[in-house]
Amino acid sequence: MQNPYIPYPVEVIKIITEVDTKDIKTFRFKFVNPEDEAKFSYIPGQFGELSIYGKGESPIGIASSPTQKGYVEFTVQKAGVVTSALHEMEEGTLMGLRGPLGNSWPIEYLEGKNIVIVGGGFAFTTLRSLINYMIFEDNRKRFGKITIIYGARNPGLLIYKDELEAWQKRDDLNVNITVDKGDATWKGREGFVPAVCKEVAPSAENAVTVICGPPVMIRFTLPVFFDLGFSKENIITSLEMRMKCGIGKCGRCNVGSKYVCKDGPVFSLAELDKLTKEY
Amino acid sequence: MEKRLIKKNTLTGIAGKMADEFKVWAPVKQEENVIFSPLEKNEQPFFAYLNSKNAPKQIFFPHTETLMKYTSTPKGMVFAAEENKADKTVLFGVRPCDAHSFALLDMLFDQEKYKDQYYINKRNNTTVITLACVEPPYATCFCTSVDGEPVDDKGADILITDIGDNYLVEFVTPKGEKLANYFGETKADAAAETKKKEIAEKAKQAIKSKIPAHEIKPILDVNFENPIWATIHGKCLACGTCTWMCPTCHCFDISDEVKGNDGVRIRSWDSCMFPLFTKETSGHNPRTSQKERWRQRVMHKFKYYVDNFNAIACVGCGRCVMSCPVNLDIRKVVEDIAKIK
Ligand SMILES: Cc1cc2nc3c(=O)[nH]c(=O)nc-3n(C[C@H](O)[C@H](O)[C@H](O)COP(=O)(O)OP(=O)(O)OC[C@H]3O[C@@H](n4cnc5c(N)ncnc54)[C@H](O)[C@@H]3O)c2cc1C
Ligand code: SF4
Ligand code: SF4
Ligand code: FES
Repeated sequence: MQNPYIPYPVEVIKIITEVDTKDIKTFRFKFVNPEDEAKFSYIPGQFGELSIYGKGESPIGIASSPTQKGYVEFTVQKAGVVTSALHEMEEGTLMGLRGPLGNSWPIEYLEGKNIVIVGGGFAFTTLRSLINYMIFEDNRKRFGKITIIYGARNPGLLIYKDELEAWQKRDDLNVNITVDKGDATWKGREGFVPAVCKEVAPSAENAVTVICGPPVMIRFTLPVFFDLGFSKENIITSLEMRMKCGIGKCGRCNVGSKYVCKDGPVFSLAELDKLTKEY
Repeated sequence: MEKRLIKKNTLTGIAGKMADEFKVWAPVKQEENVIFSPLEKNEQPFFAYLNSKNAPKQIFFPHTETLMKYTSTPKGMVFAAEENKADKTVLFGVRPCDAHSFALLDMLFDQEKYKDQYYINKRNNTTVITLACVEPPYATCFCTSVDGEPVDDKGADILITDIGDNYLVEFVTPKGEKLANYFGETKADAAAETKKKEIAEKAKQAIKSKIPAHEIKPILDVNFENPIWATIHGKCLACGTCTWMCPTCHCFDISDEVKGNDGVRIRSWDSCMFPLFTKETSGHNPRTSQKERWRQRVMHKFKYYVDNFNAIACVGCGRCVMSCPVNLDIRKVVEDIAKIK
């Protein structure tokens, strides 16, 4: 049986610098042992522990979609010890990956419904996974209308720029990209995410919204969705807590009796209402 | 299962004999304390003890342990080997409350989905021999309030009870029964069993410290925001002693150590009483003061563990009560919570 503390060996095969400030990069990994890829079979919304021997581990949401075969991607902001070491890495380096961990976006629940994706800043990673999953070939018809609202502070901080462009060209997606403040070359929308949500005003009819972003964005966005008539069951988000083991043992990441690493990180607002507000 | 009688002066000899075949952890005297330690050749265990200073959880969940080794290559540090050793072990003479704690830790480390191989491996390779408390050792013992008893086989493979002239030896599990040949040939008679029942009942009555541990669960369910939480932690130094001593506390940290070209990933005990325990890189800390940390400790033991495993994560050993440098007493806290209207 797989020891859940031991990472799969992976090789960094591609590094993409996502933003002008260069502190957010996407890392693409290939499994050193091809059979491990099947063992790391994941669902959008799950996370992995990126493991750099000698430095430690960091829990990071999976940014690629399981429909993308042959590799797995994570988008990481440089923060402390592990993430800084990761940012120093070069293509070809070997490291470790544990997981997939946690629950996931509730794919079965989302099927047959209209989906509203709301993302802010670099917390867009697992939403990107979900979008790429939903728009993949035959998967697309399992979901209704898909509306995407994504914002960053300025154009240079938008991540996945090529994909955003490609999505905007599709006629089966309603894509709304916004920045708090544009620059000389920015031709798109300006405005905060909550305001854009209000403008776009997606219908609550048979719809679920999946929201990920900085706490302030979430705080101001939720009332907009309540006004639009979304119930708490149909507003879904992902929590972050300091983690170590990622498997519900080390006692670090609980919110009430739930472990965010094992029972989360994905919760509906209705579920969060039942938990304590300690996160 | 089988029950036997042994002479009272034979216990030390049995432990010594087992030490030829097993690693035997037994209570030994160390200065003024008694602690569990692996018996050295010809070392005498000290069975006339009250309880060990430290909880014996360290046998299955050491203070620090290596999880794996890694080594450097031109392409980066790579995994080298898993470290998961477990000698054939006998834990000889733990108190019933501490044996009970193993049953509680099993629920966490040996779950359906994620199995903690390090804990489980040591647990599977160890036979637990409980030495019942015929006289409750301390005034702070409150095992009977938290589903325990001073003469009790929870978490034990073998239970040994002093019934006056002899020890009654009860084999509780097949694992315990495998060691039956160490305990002579004398089958226990009905009289011995009756005697044990009397002694057990008397010991139970002798536990005078009682707390409403079960009663507070419904109160905790709805009082996360109660003002009482601001009244408990005032003196607390955040030293973590209570959680270090506690047989059921299991929080840990994982860290890396490198020496030259090689390194290890280790886990070590951590404590919810430490301010950094939940602090994130951004500086955000969901538990901002000792108030929230004390609430976490109480909630974890008397509500969250009950929610998740239907068991209270306290065995009533009283170690935290006896060891707290500022005399914070979890029994008093539980009593005060019970008074919340
Ligand atoms: C479910 C989940 C998904 C995440 N997804 C992403 C992502 O997609 N991209 C991204 O850039 N960041 C993400 N984070 C945050 C990321 O885990 C932290 O920024 C990172 O662990 C900091 O580690 P460090 O070693 O660089 O910092 P240090 O300050 O050196 O941290 C030391 C250790 O503490 C723990 N830790 C510290 N802060 C956090 C935190 N906020 N969350 C969890 N553990 C923490 C980690 O084990 C870390 O290794 C996610 C966090 C969680 C819980
Ligand atoms: S032993 Fe006492 S002072 Fe130390 S952390 Fe526990 S309650 Fe606080
Ligand atoms: S909380 Fe205190 S009394 Fe209860 S098991 Fe832990 S150390 Fe013993
Ligand atoms: S990270 Fe260890 S319990 Fe969640």
